Amino acid sequence: MADTTAIKKDAFIMFKGAVHQVADFQHVNPGKGSAFVRSRLRNVQTGKVIENTFKVGESVETVDLDRTNMQYLYSDDTGFHFMDNNTYEQSDISAELVGDKGQYLTEGQEVIVMMHDGRPLTVDIPKKLKFKVVEAMPAVKGDSAQGRVTKEVTLETGMKIQVPLFVEEGTIIVVNTETGDYVERA
Amino acid sequence: MNLPNWKRLASDEALRKRLESRSEIVFGIREFFRGRGFLEVETPTVVALPGMEPNLEPLQTEVTRNDGARFAAHLITSPEYACKKLLAAGFRRIFEITRCYRNGEPWDGGHNPEFTMIEWYRAAADYTAIMADTEELVAELAQRFRGGTKIAYQGRDIDVAAPWDRLTVAEAFERFVGIDLTAMIDDPERFRQALTERGLEAGDGDTFDDMFFRVFLRDIEPRLGEKKPVILYEYPRQMASLARIKVADPRFAERFEAYACGLELCNAFSELTDASEQARRLEEEAAERVRLGRHAYPIDRQFIEAVGMMPEAAGIALGVDRLVMLLTDTPTIKDVLFFPANDIFNG
Repeated sequence: MADTTAIKKDAFIMFKGAVHQVADFQHVNPGKGSAFVRSRLRNVQTGKVIENTFKVGESVETVDLDRTNMQYLYSDDTGFHFMDNNTYEQSDISAELVGDKGQYLTEGQEVIVMMHDGRPLTVDIPKKLKFKVVEAMPAVKGDSAQGRVTKEVTLETGMKIQVPLFVEEGTIIVVNTETGDYVERA
Repeated sequence: MNLPNWKRLASDEALRKRLESRSEIVFGIREFFRGRGFLEVETPTVVALPGMEPNLEPLQTEVTRNDGARFAAHLITSPEYACKKLLAAGFRRIFEITRCYRNGEPWDGGHNPEFTMIEWYRAAADYTAIMADTEELVAELAQRFRGGTKIAYQGRDIDVAAPWDRLTVAEAFERFVGIDLTAMIDDPERFRQALTERGLEAGDGDTFDDMFFRVFLRDIEPRLGEKKPVILYEYPRQMASLARIKVADPRFAERFEAYACGLELCNAFSELTDASEQARRLEEEAAERVRLGRHAYPIDRQFIEAVGMMPEAAGIALGVDRLVMLLTDTPTIKDVLFFPANDIFNG
């Protein structure tokens, strides 16, 4: 049995006998007595969101997840679609469950689909991924003199990100998928 | 790109303006209290014995002298002990704006391990005088720095003009969750039952405070201070902390907190002036620290002595960073500090 440190954004826990995804959480320390974790939990079966206050240190039941290598196919209104390269079986996961990771998926990408009791819940992607910059304003003379050191560019996935001024359209960059930050030029 | 704040200042005009406002606000606070006859005091941040609050973790250090003598030392979590010694020394109205330190807390929107607190104390007054100071202080600062008392905080409109709404803790439980808190004070089983009925699970080891916060943090606090700030007062006696018990109703203590748009701004009391009761509460807190696996400090005997010598008084601790967040419409504490912890420790 894990404790409240298992409550992290997008993590899965058992709560009142059902698998829930942590939609949101916040540590609160009222000063006297215990500290608490305020949380919003999404039931993965019904989509219903409930709130609960956990006491820091109390036990929290984690969910065992099976990992399967799959290929990302595409996304549409119904969510994200993946295919098992061995069995050709398709798996679908809602955009809500995929969460922020959805913005890093490119067609054909190898991912690990995480399942519980045969039900796909989310994907695991590498911590660092390479993306092509498809839109970038050229650096303007005088930018750095004014102390400006970053600019916003658009990646092939449509995601917008802050990068150093020297990054241009067509540059391949490495992005940290946990923080959403620029790491380096590939 | 996670640039540290000091580098962001070059290009982030909003951040620069906000930190300039912070400086103005702190000057404004000083002027407010000087105008009301308060003396500004400076007390140590490095002390031998820190606060005993069971859940606070003081930073530990050591003071050494040239002859090799070594003294265990701690950074203060609040200047309260020293300020009360000054009340015992005969000062009638004092305030202090100081750095406080708390270890082991999250580095999130509302917390930084080093932060700025203002405490002020009035002799011969109870907590209602402090309520009035608080609402007048915030209203005056808003008038000066936001051009009026109707301000927006993170998309929510709020009017900070005095008087603020006042709600007892029992009324808040009644209004927001339909729980008769007065009946729960001596009946933990009934409290547990009320939680279960509302889909909350109390753990086996839950104290009264634990059950209180499970409900309060989920269903009450987020709804406090929506159109006007609210003063939440009269806490169950289990949560008295350093407050005196109400004479008219000993189930409650004369303590209040103020909330604006869900932001907790302060914690205030009619101060306890009974030295033996103060010693008893600190012993209880020390025992609770041991139970939680924390270090329990010896009791500061001079503080106990001061409590016995103090006149009737009321006092408050108000987070300056949180006040700046409210007055500059800033969602996180990181953006009202030149050097937040994340930038210093690469965390």
